[in-house]
Amino acid sequence: MHGEYKVPGGKLVIADFEVENGKLARVSINGDFFLEPPEALGKISASLEGADIGEDEGELARRVRDSLGENVEMVGFDAESVAAAVGRGLS
Amino acid sequence: MSESKFAEFRPRWKEYEWRVIRGEKVAPPVNHALDEVFAKRAGSGESPPSLRVWDRYEPEVPFGRFQSPGNEVDAENAEKYGVALVRRMTGGGAMFVEPENIITYSITAPINFVSGMGAVESYEFLDEWVVGALRSIGVEAYYEPINDISSSGGKIGGSAQARSFGAVLHHTTMSYEMDARKMLEVLRIGKEKVSDKAVESAEKRVGPIKRQTRMPKEEVISALLATFAEYAGGNVRTDIVSEEEMDEAEKLVESRYGTREWNEMIP
Repeated sequence: MHGEYKVPGGKLVIADFEVENGKLARVSINGDFFLEPPEALGKISASLEGADIGEDEGELARRVRDSLGENVEMVGFDAESVAAAVGRGLS
Repeated sequence: MSESKFAEFRPRWKEYEWRVIRGEKVAPPVNHALDEVFAKRAGSGESPPSLRVWDRYEPEVPFGRFQSPGNEVDAENAEKYGVALVRRMTGGGAMFVEPENIITYSITAPINFVSGMGAVESYEFLDEWVVGALRSIGVEAYYEPINDISSSGGKIGGSAQARSFGAVLHHTTMSYEMDARKMLEVLRIGKEKVSDKAVESAEKRVGPIKRQTRMPKEEVISALLATFAEYAGGNVRTDIVSEEEMDEAEKLVESRYGTREWNEMIP
């Protein structure tokens, strides 16, 4: 699956993933956004691994938010836009 | 000089002695490795901060640290045109670079240089002098947050930043000229075959510097450096990349910027 979400006034968030037994698998969140520290992206993608395809975007965004440490800075995107990209991929 | 949006921060340019380097031509990954070398040295205080203008032997698509190359580049066409694909250490988007058509520069400074500024603010702060320089040569340039330099004639370029190794690295790539058809063949902006209409629309969206001033590229670079020197209050020293820095960069090409693991990984 492939979903893209352009943040208004921000950057493009892309979600590439597969669906296995109704759950997200091999999730890659990618795009032209900025993120410090860069290692935080692995945590963002991992937080969506195993998410049920029935979860709404609010729940997906919560997963992303909970994966972020205190000093993570997302520029041009946020947890909601990551969830929106996944949502586009599912629809 | 026009009044600054960054009156509070503007004097910081004068607090350092800057190395200003007009780089020699190198293979595409070497420039990326040099950015890391310069960031580390500026962060540790081993070297003063710097402004380095890039030059290259070959065309390349530098793409953002968080991008998946398969989503951004048509690998077959890139190979056909001999375009190197290199992942940057910074975020942001993919650009199509033919050496003679592009001006790229990097600024590396200790992280204190941008302290008290949010990321979005620091992008504009670090490119303010360029916008000023372009205006001084008759290009009606302006900054378009988060990270674009635009103009009345279309988008000119984009920047990317990383805050790592105790330093800020800020690099900007601007179009001096462009081959819109080739760009659309190499970058996956649309998936369909490149149409005349798509080429026309890209030509409208992008406003290469040469379309807006008759100045040759080398003179544009000299004008940029002159404005930079003004911002720095004259505290600039013309320099070259040292042998030691080049050796360190070559090692980083072998371990990172020239490897498939780094360039082809899916984030």
